[in-house]
Amino acid sequence: MTLILIRRELLDNLMTFRFAAATFIMLLLVVANTFVLIIDYERRLTGHNDAAKMHQRQLQEKITYSAGMDRLSADRPPNPLSIFNVGFDKRLGNEVQVSHGVVPSLWDGYMHGSSNPFMDMFASMDIVFIFEVILSLFALLFAYDAFAGEYEAGTLRLVLTHPIGRGYILFAKYIGAMLCLLAPLLISLLLAVILLTTSTSISVNTDDFLRIGGIIFTSVAYLSVFYLIGLLISAATRRTSTALMLSMFVWGFLVLVYPNVILTVIPRSEAPDALRTSAFNRIESIWDTFDRERKHYLVTDDFPGEDWGYELRGWGSRSAYFWDNPRTLMYTYNSIMDFEGFGEEDEPKMPHAQKHFGFLGAQTIDAAGRTWLIRKPALEEIFIQPANVERVWLKLSPVGLYDAATQAWAGTDLLGIRDFFHAARQYRQSVINYLYDHKVFESRQWFAGDKGAADWSGLPQFSFQRDDISTNAKRALPDVCLLLMINVVLFIVIFLIFVKSEV
Amino acid sequence: MWHITKREIYDNLNSLRFALTTVLLLALMVTNAVKHLREHPKRVQRYQDAVTESLNHLTDRADDSLYTLAQYGPGNFYKKPSLLHFCANGGESVLPDVVEVDKPPVFMTDAEGNRLLEGIWSLSYPDANLNNKDVGPNVSQVDWAFIIGYILSLIALWFTFDAFSGEREQGTLRLMLANSIPRHTVLIGKFLGALLSISIPFALAVLVNLLLISTASTVHLTTEAWGRLGIIFSLALLYTSLFVALGLLVSARVQQSAVSLMILLLTWVTLVVFMPSTLASIASSFSPATSFDEFWKQRNPIQENLWDKYKEGRSSKSVDRRLRAKSEFYTENAEREERWQEEQLKYRTSQVHRARAITSISPATLLQHLMARFAGTGFERHLQFVENTQRYARQLREFVADTDRADPESLHILGVREGMSKKPISPEAVPRFEDTLNLNRDFNTAAMELLLLTLFVLVLLSGAYLAFVRVEV
Repeated sequence: MTLILIRRELLDNLMTFRFAAATFIMLLLVVANTFVLIIDYERRLTGHNDAAKMHQRQLQEKITYSAGMDRLSADRPPNPLSIFNVGFDKRLGNEVQVSHGVVPSLWDGYMHGSSNPFMDMFASMDIVFIFEVILSLFALLFAYDAFAGEYEAGTLRLVLTHPIGRGYILFAKYIGAMLCLLAPLLISLLLAVILLTTSTSISVNTDDFLRIGGIIFTSVAYLSVFYLIGLLISAATRRTSTALMLSMFVWGFLVLVYPNVILTVIPRSEAPDALRTSAFNRIESIWDTFDRERKHYLVTDDFPGEDWGYELRGWGSRSAYFWDNPRTLMYTYNSIMDFEGFGEEDEPKMPHAQKHFGFLGAQTIDAAGRTWLIRKPALEEIFIQPANVERVWLKLSPVGLYDAATQAWAGTDLLGIRDFFHAARQYRQSVINYLYDHKVFESRQWFAGDKGAADWSGLPQFSFQRDDISTNAKRALPDVCLLLMINVVLFIVIFLIFVKSEV
Repeated sequence: MWHITKREIYDNLNSLRFALTTVLLLALMVTNAVKHLREHPKRVQRYQDAVTESLNHLTDRADDSLYTLAQYGPGNFYKKPSLLHFCANGGESVLPDVVEVDKPPVFMTDAEGNRLLEGIWSLSYPDANLNNKDVGPNVSQVDWAFIIGYILSLIALWFTFDAFSGEREQGTLRLMLANSIPRHTVLIGKFLGALLSISIPFALAVLVNLLLISTASTVHLTTEAWGRLGIIFSLALLYTSLFVALGLLVSARVQQSAVSLMILLLTWVTLVVFMPSTLASIASSFSPATSFDEFWKQRNPIQENLWDKYKEGRSSKSVDRRLRAKSEFYTENAEREERWQEEQLKYRTSQVHRARAITSISPATLLQHLMARFAGTGFERHLQFVENTQRYARQLREFVADTDRADPESLHILGVREGMSKKPISPEAVPRFEDTLNLNRDFNTAAMELLLLTLFVLVLLSGAYLAFVRVEV
C-alpha cells in the first residue's frame, strides 16, 4: 500500500509544470555557472603558478642567504572545490612570507598581484549558493499544496477511508516529493561534475569525489528541511493560497532577510583594546631584550666598534630594521646584507662578522618563537572568537548551517585556510633546521656572494596538501547532524499535527 | 479608473500580505537607521582625525621651506564619508578610502647615512587590504539598496501575482469586464493600485527611518542630501513599478495564480539573485588580470634608463648642470612612479567598467549602481575622489613652481635644495585639498542607466497591456 501511495505521489509531482520548470532552471543555472566558475578557477590557478614562479626566480637571483630569506614565501594554490563553495578561498591571503624572524600567521598573508581587488565588488557565485536559493524555493513550491491542496480537492478524505495509518500517508508524501526534488539536484550536480572532470587543468582525486559526495548529502538534508517546513505550513493552514503566501514569506525571511540582517542586529563584538595593547607590550619587551643582547654582543666581542655590519666596505647593500604592526601584533627584526665583493682590508673582519651573524640568527629565531607564544592566543581572541560568535548566529537558520557544512566539506572554511598557514609554519621550521644543519648563519654566504653564491637547490621546497577527507568530515559533521536533527524534529511535529487534524 | 485603483488599494489594505509587508519593511528600515547611527559618527570621526593629521603635515612642511614642501608634498588624502551611506553601501569595503602620498625614495646614502640621491613625493593608490584579514562571515549590508533591490521587488511580485489570475479564478474579472470599461483602464487601475499599496508601507518605513536618522544629534542631513533622498525614493518607485508590471504581465497570461507565482518567483530569482553575479563572473573571465609579474617587467627597464641618463649628467663639470640632472632624475622618477600607479588603476578600472556594463542587463544591478551614484558612494564616487586628488596634486605642484618662479634669487631647479627658493612661505597660501561631490555630474552620467531602467518598465508595461488585451476571460 505504501508503495502505491509513493508511486501516486511521484507520478503526481512528475507530471506537473513545476517539476519541468524546476529541472530546467536548475540545469540552466548550474551548468552555466559551473562553466564560468571553471574558467575563473583556471584563471586563479594561472595567477598562482605565475606568482610561485616569480617567487622562485626572485629567490634564485639572490646571491646571499640573508637577502634570500627576505624573499622566501609560501603560495596557496586555489582549491578546486571552491567551485562548489568559494568560502574564504578568494578572500584570505594566498601567499605568506617565510622568514626566520617571524612565525607566519593568517594575518601576515597577502594576495598576490594578479587579482583585481575591485572585482570583489561584484557578488561572487558558487554552486552551493544556487542550491541555497533555488532548492529551498523548489522544496516549498512542491510542499505548499501537499495537504492543503488535497484537503481542498477532497481527495485527502478519500485516501483516509482506506485502512492505512496516517503516518504511512505522510511518509509516502515525503518520499515521493523528495525523489522528485532529488532528480533536478542530482542531474545538475552530475553535469557539474562531468564538466569538472573534462577540464584539463582541474585534477579531481578520490578524496575530492568523496568530498563532493558529502556536499550532495548535505544538500539533500537541506532540501529535506525546506520540504518539511513547507509540509508543516501546508498541514497547519489547510488553504493553498494562505499556505503559498506563508511559504513565500518564510522563504524570503530564512534565505534573504535573516542571513543578511542578523549580523547587523547583534552588536559586533570588538575585542578589547586592552588585550591587544598588553599583548603588544609583552611582544615589544621581548624584542627590546633581543635588541639589548644584540648590542651587548657587539660591544663585548673581540672586534672594536659597535657597527652590526663590522664596517665592511664592499660592493653591495645593507639594511637592518625593526618592523612592527600593532594591529596584527606583528614584530620582527630583519638584517640584510647583500655584498658582491670586498676590499683587501675587509678579510680580517670576516670571522668576526660570521660569528656575529651566527649569534644573531639564533637570537632572532628564539625571539620570534617567544613572540609566537604570545601572539597565537592573542590573535585567536582578537580575531577568531568574535568571528565564531557571528558564525553561530548565522547557523540559527538552515541556510547558515548548509553553507557552513558545505564549506567544511570543500575545505574552503576558515579552518581549511588556516591549515595552509599551519603548513607554512611547519615549512619555516624545516627551513630553519636546514639553516642550522648547514651552518648557514655562520657561513660567509649569509652576507656575501664573492666566494660562491648561496645555494638554493638544497633548501626544502614548500608544498601544500589539503587535509584528507576525514578532517573535512570531522569539521562538517556537527552541522550536518544539526540539519538532520531539524529534519527529525520537523517530521515529528508534522506527524503530530496531521494525526490530530480532522479531515 | 480611480474606482478600480481605490478598490485595489482597499482590497490590499485588508490582506495578510499588507500587514506582513509593513512589519518586514519597518523592521528592516529601523535596523538600517540604528546601524547607521551607530557607525556613522565613528566614520566621520576617523575621517576628521585623518584629515587634521594630514593638514598638519602640510603646514609643517610649508613652514619648513619650499624645498621640503616640494620634496615631501602634502599628507595623505582621505575620502569624505557620504552622508547617505545608509542608502547604498556601494561595496565600500573593497574600495580604499585613501590616496597615499609616497615618501620620497632614497637611492643612495653614504656610510654615515647622509642621503646623496633621493626622490620626491608621488601619488599612490593602495588597495583596501583590510578585507583579506577579515575572518568573519561574508554578508551583505542592510542598506536601502538591499531593501529596495531584493525585498521591495519581491513584495511587488507578491502583491501582483494574482491580480488577474486570482480574479479570473473567482470570476470577478468577467463581472468587471461586463461593465463598459476599456481594458487598458482596468490595467492602469490595477497597476496604480498595486504600486500605491506597496508605496504606503514603503513610504511609512522610509519616514520612520529618516525620522530616526535626522533627529539624531550626531548626523546632519543637508538640503542637498534631502534632494538626493528624493531622487532615490523616486528611483525606488520606478524600480518597483518594473516588478509590478512584470507581475501583471505574467498574471494576465497565466490561468492559475499558483503557477503565476511560481513563474514570477523563478524570474525574480534569475533576474535579481543570479544574473548580477553570473554576469560579473562572465565579464571578469573575459579579461585576465595582468599579473604582477608583467607589471614588474614593465617597470624595471624604465628604471635603468633613468639611471643611465642621470649618470651622464652627474659627471658634468658645471654645478648647474649637475643639479639639473638631479632634478630631472627626481621629477622623472616620481612621474614614472605615478604613471605606473595610474596605469594599474586604469587597467583595473576598465575591467570594472566592462563588468558593470555587462551586469547592467539586470535591473537589480542597474538599481544598485544608480543608488550608489546618488548616495555618493561606490565605485564612481571613488574615481571622482581619485580625480580630485590628482587635480589637487597638479595644483600643488604648480603652486610650488609659481612660488619658486616669483623669487629672483632662486635657480629654479625644482626638487633640489640648492636650486630652490629659500624664502619662507606662509602655510595659509598653500592650496588645501577638499573632497567634493557634484550632483550635476552624477545626473549626467546616470542618465543612461536611468533611461535603461525606464525602458525596462515601459517594455514590461506594454507587454502586460498586450497580454491583457488579447486574453480571453
